[in-house]
Amino acid sequence: MNPADARPLNANPDSLINPADSLERQNAKLQKITAALMRRVEQGSDGLGAAYAQFQRAALLEEEVRERTRELGRALDLLNQSNAQLAEANAETEAARRNLTNAIETVQEGFALFNADEKLVMCNSRFGLHMPDVRDRMQPGISFRTYVDTISRSQFLTLAEGETAESWAARRMERHQDRHVIFNARMVWNRWVQVSEHRTPDGGTVILQTDVTDIMRLERAERDRMLDTQAKLIRATLEHLDQGVCIFDDQARLVGWNQRFGELLSLTVTKLRMGIGFDGLFERFRDDVQFTGGMSADQVEHWVRSETSRAPLSFEMRHHNGRVLTVSAQEMPDRGFVFSFSDVSAERAAVQAVYEANEQLEQRVIERTLELEDALAEAERANASKSRFVAAASHDLLQPLSAAKLYVGSVLADQGDAQTRSVLERASNALNSVEHILGALLDISKLDSGQAAVHLGQVPLGRLLLQLRDELAPVAAAKGIDLRVVPTSVTVTSDATYLRRILQNLIGNAVRYTARGKVLIGVRRIGPQVRVEVHDTGPGIPADQQELIFDEFHRIAAPSSASEGLGLGLAIVERACALLKHPLHLRSEPLQGTCFAVDLPRAAKAARQRPHRSHRPQPLAELKDLENMFVLLVENDADLLSALTLTMEQWGATVLAAQSAVQAHQLLAEFDVTPDAIIADYQLDDGALGSDLLTDLGERMGPVPACLITAQRDRIVQQTADRLKVQLMTKPLASAALRDFLQNAYQQG
Amino acid sequence: MKDQQATDPEVLRVVHLPHDTPDVLRALAAALGPEALELVLLFFSPKADVTHLAAEAEKVFAPANVIGCSTAGELTRNGYEEGQIIAIALPHSLFRARNLIVEDLTDYDSDRLVAQMLQNRNQLAQEASDFRHEFNFLLIDGLSRREDVLAADLSLGLGPVPLFGGSAGDGERFGATFVLSGGKLYQNAAVLAQIRSRCPIKVFKSDHLVPSPRKMVVTEADPEERLVREINAEPAAREYARILGKDPEQLDTFTFAAHPVVVRIGDQHHVRSIQRVADNGDLVFFSAIDEGLVLTLAEPLDMVDHLTAELDALAAKGPPAAILACDCLLRKLEAEQKQMTGQLSDLMAERGVVGFSTYGEQWNSMHVNQTLTGVAFYAPDETGGAT
Repeated sequence: MNPADARPLNANPDSLINPADSLERQNAKLQKITAALMRRVEQGSDGLGAAYAQFQRAALLEEEVRERTRELGRALDLLNQSNAQLAEANAETEAARRNLTNAIETVQEGFALFNADEKLVMCNSRFGLHMPDVRDRMQPGISFRTYVDTISRSQFLTLAEGETAESWAARRMERHQDRHVIFNARMVWNRWVQVSEHRTPDGGTVILQTDVTDIMRLERAERDRMLDTQAKLIRATLEHLDQGVCIFDDQARLVGWNQRFGELLSLTVTKLRMGIGFDGLFERFRDDVQFTGGMSADQVEHWVRSETSRAPLSFEMRHHNGRVLTVSAQEMPDRGFVFSFSDVSAERAAVQAVYEANEQLEQRVIERTLELEDALAEAERANASKSRFVAAASHDLLQPLSAAKLYVGSVLADQGDAQTRSVLERASNALNSVEHILGALLDISKLDSGQAAVHLGQVPLGRLLLQLRDELAPVAAAKGIDLRVVPTSVTVTSDATYLRRILQNLIGNAVRYTARGKVLIGVRRIGPQVRVEVHDTGPGIPADQQELIFDEFHRIAAPSSASEGLGLGLAIVERACALLKHPLHLRSEPLQGTCFAVDLPRAAKAARQRPHRSHRPQPLAELKDLENMFVLLVENDADLLSALTLTMEQWGATVLAAQSAVQAHQLLAEFDVTPDAIIADYQLDDGALGSDLLTDLGERMGPVPACLITAQRDRIVQQTADRLKVQLMTKPLASAALRDFLQNAYQQG
Repeated sequence: MKDQQATDPEVLRVVHLPHDTPDVLRALAAALGPEALELVLLFFSPKADVTHLAAEAEKVFAPANVIGCSTAGELTRNGYEEGQIIAIALPHSLFRARNLIVEDLTDYDSDRLVAQMLQNRNQLAQEASDFRHEFNFLLIDGLSRREDVLAADLSLGLGPVPLFGGSAGDGERFGATFVLSGGKLYQNAAVLAQIRSRCPIKVFKSDHLVPSPRKMVVTEADPEERLVREINAEPAAREYARILGKDPEQLDTFTFAAHPVVVRIGDQHHVRSIQRVADNGDLVFFSAIDEGLVLTLAEPLDMVDHLTAELDALAAKGPPAAILACDCLLRKLEAEQKQMTGQLSDLMAERGVVGFSTYGEQWNSMHVNQTLTGVAFYAPDETGGAT
């Protein structure tokens, strides 16, 4: 519509009145206009013109009608839907009712449903079947009370004595208050109906009637039968038991027993009879038995008479008939009690037998032990006298032997004849051998007799080994054997004399039995111990001989010269090692060589024999406090290598000098020893790096104090040193710094 | 959505030929082409041989149904024309329709009619549930004076579906108007087409009149005959002329077209158009009238500007693919008087407005005058998809 519609329309009377008209005419016309308008207003939409009225209504109600129509349409749809649902629901309800009816009809019991208002809703054809006289009255609509009243007066219901139909109905109504009710109602002709009543969730009641007559009859017969069977079973079970059993009731009267009970207690059958009191029964055999374990007849009687509940009782007794019985008594729930008797005679006899056998055995062991002690004492006496004899003999022989040697020596000195001289020299050698053998025998006898005195002390192993090397080097050189000792600085705790004898024998043996090749002596640190190893490249010892070699006078592949000994060396070594508690090891492969090793305890650090360190500076060259220190030096410059070696040797250190990493590895492998310190040039030949060598050795030997030396002053070398945790020294080397490093390293070692 | 042309010929197929073209219906049918048609609307000039047309139409356009009516002028692709027969076809691919004939407007069972409408609507809904847009199209004898009553009765069966329609015309002669349905011509009858479409639609009504302050009161009338005998207790024509400031002897159809009266109902104004002056000086109206009514003289706005704005409003959400319209004869007469016919005609041709000139329009439950009432069709929904 146009905006002009909204404009207030001022009725313009001018348009209604023709000014040309007379006033009378105007008045008449206005009256007619007014009349027409009034008619229109009063008649409203029911004016003369139905068509206009319809138009007016349409115009007024246009939108409203259309909206209403839409709503009506929607309402109609909903109504249709509801109708359809209602029809469906009705159909479902009908179907459900039919199903329910069919279902309760198939139930084999009487079924009735009362609603929450106590009215009978439905029942099946079996409901009230057992009461034909009132059955017709069980129709939907009757109240629960009517139902109860009706059946209470049925002639088929059997009332208990003194009960009336009214009292039965009253009792029935009373039970109806419960949520669930089950009872058996007795009918005439000894029939029974079980009535069960359940409350439904909506407050209704369901009643089921089941004819249980047959079930009741069967149950009774069954119960009787079962009781009888149980009694028989108990009887048979009792008789089957190996124990004697007797059972008393709460009045202490005998109510059950088995034959075994009579047997065990030697009671004749006539004495056992039903109902006899415990006291009477006990009287018959209490004098025949003897209680053990602190139990007495009075205690048993007291237990039986006890008014309070009785704890289980267990004891043992011996019967005159020879049986030993264990007895246990137990109270039963009804205050009766039961005794059981087990025959343990056989077990007791067996225990006795074992006990006796044991006693005899112990006696024999004591006797044997005494015999053995005697034998041992005898043997010890014999051994001691042998040792004393050998010692005495050796000592006594040594005197004339010395004399003989002196005589031969003096003759030899005077004798010019070459042939005689040769004979005398051999005689002298023979005497030397005898002296040597006698010395060895003396040692062994000392060790065997246990009279050898041990003086433990600090023994610098390096010095001892070097002495032995010097001693044996000529023999080795004569045989063309390379005898080498790896220097060591370690000090051990041992008896210096015996240790020297042990090592002397081991090294001597190695040189003696090795035809060619070399003998190497080295020391290995193993925790708090050191192991002295004597390696040779001799023929080796077969496995089956390895035990025997320690026996006196045993020799393998005896050399041609008898003067080289009677094979007493290893016997002495073994005894001495045992005495000093130094473990002795043997490792040998035929044709490969042999290694003897002795484990020695390291001496404590503080006790190490070293020059006291002064706080005052001392002339470096004069200090020899690095004695026995073992230093690996790797330097490719030959001049510097020899200069450094010389410097460190002046300080007493042993220097393994190598010009390359390969050479260093070879030297270490040969000496098989871990150096106390390593000094390596950073820049080796052919681009090899001293740092790589240190890494390599670190992995193989564990941490060893080390020092890199270099002419380069650059950061990479410093970083490398830091990474390896080693000291870095720059060339030219200051000898004071080098010495500090070695001293620190030595103290760490 | 596809960019549709304003006058997509595919939604409505529209052809027209002069009424005296030989074998005119077959020629029209040929021009419509072979596409399957659901409904053919045939608006024919009263000059045509209407009896012959009716007999032929059923056969020529079969199997499509044909409904139609005589006109007071045709609205073709060229705008206002006369002496034409215009065939507007609704293709089967986009439309489904059910027709309902009311053979005698003075004697029909409105309850049955409403029931039949509801039935038809349900059937259509089942047949074309994916054609989601609905409207009703009414053609009614323009001289029956029963338009108000029928429109009111039909409103009960509309439900939420809009209705529009036009009253059949007889040029400017007011002699006899015809309604065509099922191969028969009817007078004093109406035909209702209930239509479902795949095209979104908008049913509209437009008038360009605003009330003036000048009022008059009907003091004597014959509602049955839509006659107003007296206004302000004076002979009707003379008083109307006096208020208009004209000589009663000069009153003619053009005057009525240019100066209609409106009645106020609630806060709305409705045009009550005057058909002619009876010989005795009574005024004959195009729509229902009664005694005691207050009539307000209306003044027209500029027709071209107003129509342009109304058509622009219809194109607010994209231009319509076609517009089927019932245009009141009085609008054409007013335009003629104001020499606006050419402009209006071109405007409607340009915007694809087709239909016919009426003796009155129907709008939902109302019979109205001096409006342009119609339906705009928009591009069809994607098949099976949502708009």
